Amino acid sequence: MTLSFFLSQCAGEENWVDNRTIYVGHREPPSGTEAYIPQRYPDNRIVSSKYTFWNFVPKNLFEQFRRIANFYFLIIFLVQLIIDTPTSPVTSGLPLFFVITVTAIKQGYEDWLRHKADNAMNQCPVHFIRHGKLVRKQSRKLRVGDIVMVKEDETFPCDLIFLSSSRGDGTCFVTTASLDGESSHKTYYAVQDTKAFHNEQDIDALHATIECEQPQPDLYKFVGRINVYHDRNEPIARPLGSENLLLRGATLKNTERIFGVAIYTGMETKMALNYQSKSQKRSAVEKSMNVFLIVYLCILISKALINTALKYVWQSDPFRDEPWYNQKTESERKRNLILRAFTDFLAFMVLFNYIIPVSMYVTVEMQKFLGSYFLTWDEEMFDEDTGEGPLVNTSDLNEELGQVEYVFTDKTGTLTENNMEFIECCIEGHVYIPHVICNGQILHDCTGIDMIDSSPGGSGKEREELFFRALCLCHTVQVKEDDNIDGLKKAQLSGRSCVYISSSPDEVALVEGIQRLGYTYLRLKDNFMEILNPKNDIERFELLEMLSFDSVRRRMSVIVRSVAGDIFLFCKGADSSIFPRVTEGKIDQIRSRVERNAVEGLRTLCVAYKKFTRKEYDSVCKLLQNAKLALHDREKKLAEAYEQIEKDLILLGATAVEDQLQEKAADTIEALQKAGIKVWVLTGDKMETAAATCYACKLFRRNTQLLELTTKKIEEQSLHDVLFDLSKTVLKHSGSLTRDNFSGLSTDMQDYGLIIDGAALSLIMKPREDGSSGNYRERFLEICRNCSAVLCCRMAPLQKAQIVKLIKLSKEHPITLAIGDGANDVSMILEAHVGIGITGKEGRQAARNSDYAIPKFKHLKKMLLVHGHFYYVRISELVQYFFYKVG
Amino acid sequence: MAVNYNAKEEADGHPSGVGAPGGAGKSRKPDNTAFKQQRLPAWQPILTAGTVLPAFFIIGLIFIPIGIGIFVTSNNIREYEIDYTGTDSYSPCNKCLNVSWNSTSPCTCTINFTLDQPFETNVFMYYGLSNFYQNHRRYVKSRDDSQLNGDNSSLLNPSKECEPYSTSEGKPIAPCGAIANSMFNDTLELFRIDNETRIPITLNKKGIAWWTDKNVKFRNPSGNTNNLTALFQGTTKPVNWPKPVYMLDSETDNNGFINEDFIVWMRTAALPTFRKLYRLIERENNLQPTLQAGKYSLDITYNYPVHSFDGRKRMILSTISWMGGKNPFLGIAYITVGSICFFLGVVLLVIHHKYGNRNTSADIPN
Repeated sequence: MTLSFFLSQCAGEENWVDNRTIYVGHREPPSGTEAYIPQRYPDNRIVSSKYTFWNFVPKNLFEQFRRIANFYFLIIFLVQLIIDTPTSPVTSGLPLFFVITVTAIKQGYEDWLRHKADNAMNQCPVHFIRHGKLVRKQSRKLRVGDIVMVKEDETFPCDLIFLSSSRGDGTCFVTTASLDGESSHKTYYAVQDTKAFHNEQDIDALHATIECEQPQPDLYKFVGRINVYHDRNEPIARPLGSENLLLRGATLKNTERIFGVAIYTGMETKMALNYQSKSQKRSAVEKSMNVFLIVYLCILISKALINTALKYVWQSDPFRDEPWYNQKTESERKRNLILRAFTDFLAFMVLFNYIIPVSMYVTVEMQKFLGSYFLTWDEEMFDEDTGEGPLVNTSDLNEELGQVEYVFTDKTGTLTENNMEFIECCIEGHVYIPHVICNGQILHDCTGIDMIDSSPGGSGKEREELFFRALCLCHTVQVKEDDNIDGLKKAQLSGRSCVYISSSPDEVALVEGIQRLGYTYLRLKDNFMEILNPKNDIERFELLEMLSFDSVRRRMSVIVRSVAGDIFLFCKGADSSIFPRVTEGKIDQIRSRVERNAVEGLRTLCVAYKKFTRKEYDSVCKLLQNAKLALHDREKKLAEAYEQIEKDLILLGATAVEDQLQEKAADTIEALQKAGIKVWVLTGDKMETAAATCYACKLFRRNTQLLELTTKKIEEQSLHDVLFDLSKTVLKHSGSLTRDNFSGLSTDMQDYGLIIDGAALSLIMKPREDGSSGNYRERFLEICRNCSAVLCCRMAPLQKAQIVKLIKLSKEHPITLAIGDGANDVSMILEAHVGIGITGKEGRQAARNSDYAIPKFKHLKKMLLVHGHFYYVRISELVQYFFYKVG
Repeated sequence: MAVNYNAKEEADGHPSGVGAPGGAGKSRKPDNTAFKQQRLPAWQPILTAGTVLPAFFIIGLIFIPIGIGIFVTSNNIREYEIDYTGTDSYSPCNKCLNVSWNSTSPCTCTINFTLDQPFETNVFMYYGLSNFYQNHRRYVKSRDDSQLNGDNSSLLNPSKECEPYSTSEGKPIAPCGAIANSMFNDTLELFRIDNETRIPITLNKKGIAWWTDKNVKFRNPSGNTNNLTALFQGTTKPVNWPKPVYMLDSETDNNGFINEDFIVWMRTAALPTFRKLYRLIERENNLQPTLQAGKYSLDITYNYPVHSFDGRKRMILSTISWMGGKNPFLGIAYITVGSICFFLGVVLLVIHHKYGNRNTSADIPN
């Protein structure tokens, strides 16, 4: 692939304005290549402060007078200054200036602190490479294109492309705790062509340009390309992804030092872009308060108008207008009647302005702010295990907690512990349970399995080994290393006491479970994965490609080459995404086992493999390479490539992992339901598992009649019929229910639970050509309203938000609450009236985006039923008292 | 007042929650105090028959005697009122009805009246005006308090508020303003008619103003107070006044700005119908009432025109009690409220007695 071809191709399909080109080390590319328009980049100064010394007064005043209360006060004050008023301007001016001054001082002090912090950050020393030498400079002097050296435990000063590391394999470990709260170490990879440059001189000799997209706030997405020039040869182009990008704010761990080139600096770093505040939510009480205020404003204006009119009626008698004892001045007599009437009107406005309770805004805000401390002070909501209590990110929504009608909860990590335990695996219909193993012996548990091939023959044994290897190899787990890696290697081998770290607890559970079955994953070294088999031999597999996990595909794959030279693709994923791609294997037995496990509330994963010939692998390689090099739509192209690669698989088996319920989850759900709050579970998990969890946490009870609105049912009947049938069942029941209530005590009330999956939901939500979607939506909502519990499974994150929005905008306008712990819940947390994050194991993204964060799901009970109730009662009394006071 | 939660964490340059859980040092567990855990004792009354019925009876029993006491006191106050505007053609003052400010000869009239009951204690003599808007905004503001307080510079440069009554013929007016300009200037004299002889009754013109007004708020310009004419040099009299302010009275301590009639007038009334204290009639000895029952005559020097704005002028004689002047309303209000409470108490008691125990399950839960 020649460069000219490359560029023309790119230029043809991409818009260059959205890209930036960086000369690594400020070295111009060899002449003859395309000339880029030089772009100006900001320096590496982080500015979190709002004001400067000069603009503080005007900007602060402007910000403060944007608040409606302050502005109203100001207008009244100005009117009092201008016209001949009955009350002195001091009476409204003094409190206004007091409030303004106090707020300005407070904000000024906060901004001064921010300036101090900014300065400290901008002046901290950074190591640069300049002409082959290491130079120390202040962080703020960093420019795009500078080559930076970062030592262990230092924070990256800007967004860097990882060039090389002191580790031989070109990796480094990074913790992004301060960015997204995930404290696990993540592995980043240096650019292949530069990872050999270990000292300053080498790095300085590097001649390369980087093309990448303009900065975007998404922490996990990055596409770019590096062109490395070797002498006079054509440049080598390499793809850059988020695994090459070290983000500002992250900290280097377990790596002595790395070199990187700055690509985004200062306010363009992803961290700075993420500082932008999210949209403001407003509480229902505040909205109704505003309506009241508008009504009162109308009353005020009409009052002033009526009074002005009455004044002129009364004055029409000249003895009243100007009796001998009370004469007007000449100028007063000459004044225009309309002008006079207008100033009289303004005077009446000023006279009656107390009817608008302006102080209410300040008081209500203070009440909410101080009141929110009761939540954080609550002893019962403090979690001893994590040492954390509830967090209040916004106190504006306190009283909404007491008005919640719908609770949308995530399952994994919210209802359940997200503490995975490997329960069993099923290979070719044989069930293995690691708990039963005592001395490395595998016992077969054959109960309940229809075994066709009971004696594991030659092929069976082979499959079994493949299965275990697949589980050992197909993951993204890292082994936590101690400081002296080489010294402890032996000890680790003998003691098998590795600590596994991964962003997904399922994977850790699987690798640990497999370890108990005899196969230990040791480490990834120089692109070779090492596993220890039960015979204590180390097997080495070369990691060729990693087709990483995403929530759309719901599977991941690795392509490895064994020592023997065989190339395997191992694929692991949800049953729904694996079964359609399988052509061989004991599908029926495994499927039945998977379904059985799912009913028991276990999380199941299926494992499949595929063997590549050399030729097949080459084509696969090319396919991936093409997709990875794309600058635009890389995601889409990669997904297409994955789709092509992961097919015609051979099914090996399935695993089952248990996720325990959180403590008191059932108790909490029961209490919420008793309080009349409808609880919906929205999960990405499969239906059977999710339903089992719902039974376990008493969302569904024994007598709950389950209504299913799933893809399977829709395949049998049309969506229209299914919806019609369901609504008939539900409505007939609700009709009889009212009669029952009149007739007296109806003992066993039939309640309904609805199960809907993502595919069915998207069918319902999809707008039709004939415009009948509204009808479906209405019918669906009607069914939902009559169900005591709803379970939505197989939901993509955006679908969760869609459901919340559907309910939020339904005609009753109920107050909704979404609770979740993971990044996939953020969209629904932002969508719902009140978003609650659980400060759980899946990182802090949910907690950061939420309005309130609590340590455990069980705390929701007290939060809604006690604190929310109190807040609602208090705020309503306060607001009503205010209107009573002025009215 | 923008309450900013993020201030601290932004200042740190890190988002919240970076702090390692279970880190070194003290636990972040909240204190177990009654306030923080919202366990402070609270009391909320639950209204039951047991609390409401006694409350009604007690209120009734307290209010009715108070009301009766106040009502009796108010009724014991003697009050006599004469309207001397002269709008009726048979009225002796009818001839003076259209008196104007610049008439040179004073118009006098005499009204005879009879007191049926003696006035035992000190009697207060008031003049009353109706339909006179002393509360008009333009009127109320039309004065210069620093001038009235004896400030020499304000004396010669009256405040703008006094317009259009601040200067006359190029000279500053002292006292300036509409209030002072429209000062009440009828002269009232009271005679007891005993066997066709008119015995003048001593009318005390001192002690009718507030002490603070007389001694603090109103002061003559500083200088030799014995020669007020010199002190008010360079000023002119208000347009409607017949004579300048330093000739209001012959006594020095009741002349100029500290003339008590003037001070009383300057304290503006809140309603268009008002009365102001004019004179005091003190009881001379304990054997005789201050004003015996019998015939009296009131001599009026009619200077003050009220007919142009449909006003009325009255003369009121009244005694006072510990609760002030005659005011039957307060007593009636007390008696009414007390009676209603008592009545409601009885009604509720009957209802409670008759129906109260019928359904015990209807108790308020909790």
